[in-house]
Amino acid sequence: MDLLKFLGRIWDAVTSLTRPPNAATLFRRADLYRQEGRFEEAADLVAQGMRISPNNGVGHLLSAYLHLAFRQIDPAKSEFHSVLRLDPYHPRALLGLAKIALEERDLVACRPYLDKALQYYPDFPEARALQEMVVGWSANAVPAAGAPTFMGPALQIEKLRPPASGREFVLTQTDGTLVFSQHGDKDAEDLAAHVTQVYRIASATLQRAGLGQLRRGIVQAATETSFYRSNDRLVLAMTFPHDVKIGFGQLETDKLWTNSLRELGVRA
Amino acid sequence: MSPEPSAPARSTRAREFRRILAEMLKIDRVRGGLVVAADGLVIAASLPRGVAMEPLAALAATLGRELEVGGDRLKRTAFQAALFSADNGTVFLGSSPVGFVVVLGDREVNVGLVQWQLRKALATLEGAWGTTVQVPARPEDM
Repeated sequence: MDLLKFLGRIWDAVTSLTRPPNAATLFRRADLYRQEGRFEEAADLVAQGMRISPNNGVGHLLSAYLHLAFRQIDPAKSEFHSVLRLDPYHPRALLGLAKIALEERDLVACRPYLDKALQYYPDFPEARALQEMVVGWSANAVPAAGAPTFMGPALQIEKLRPPASGREFVLTQTDGTLVFSQHGDKDAEDLAAHVTQVYRIASATLQRAGLGQLRRGIVQAATETSFYRSNDRLVLAMTFPHDVKIGFGQLETDKLWTNSLRELGVRA
Repeated sequence: MSPEPSAPARSTRAREFRRILAEMLKIDRVRGGLVVAADGLVIAASLPRGVAMEPLAALAATLGRELEVGGDRLKRTAFQAALFSADNGTVFLGSSPVGFVVVLGDREVNVGLVQWQLRKALATLEGAWGTTVQVPARPEDM
């Protein structure tokens, strides 16, 4: 009997080398590749696995992750929803959708996903970190329609004039209220929303790293560099062409920051 | 689902991420770092005691995505690198095809040196994806 079992195992081992892998094996290998940053190979394996097992939750989840890794947001969202159709409380799918909602600045959609993810998995650290971050945001009242309005008096524009090469100068409160911008139009509101979002997430990241409150930031893109200054109430951002000297950009940003604080301080 | 793979040595990527992180950690006053995919998956990490990996990775990936997506919304060009300073240190963040490289420095860290090394690291990662990025020869040239 033992000999038969032994021979059976050998037979299984030999035939497994020639048998095509099943979906679970493909997904397991895909996940290993994903963890090594080998996204293209992982995606190929997931596609193979999904052909064998099209309603597999693990496959849909891996597929969602890989779409996100390739910055393909709509397909990722669709795959996360496929996971939730199979398991409505799947914490990783809920977290994935919460993150996408955050990217889309849809806080109303984001919060329930995080709440639901933490309902059955209260020790889910990533979801907890994001929930703690956005809970802080809800403390700031934001009107349902449009951007919040700055209630203070108008600032003297001539004292807040950026240097010739500076553009997209914007001053906001940390709740997103636009205080002042170089251009008073819809673009200014979009810019203020982005600056506020960067401030909020960067602050949360610094605090998680145990480094304290955000004071300064520099964001470099291919053709422009943006400088940030902030305290716990205000955020200032200004953008220069990419070839700006960092020292010059910081100096000019500091000047505007000091003038802005003085203006608001005088009027407070 | 995916763009055409163009890298000649994809199997060495994981090793490359760990090597890049190890190089960054050699810089004086750098306390830790991680490589995190856009979905928040941690690919490589070395963090100081007391800093939890998953929450930091989730926030760093969210920050990186806001810089990518928000910049795109404002019709800006592609985000490359950023730094955010607080009273006790600085978080550096670089964008790459694999995701984001995050470096934590204390308040005395040489910001210019880390920025330069990070640019070099990002260029290496871009190279692993088959594209070439020019990096200045010295930190002072940045």
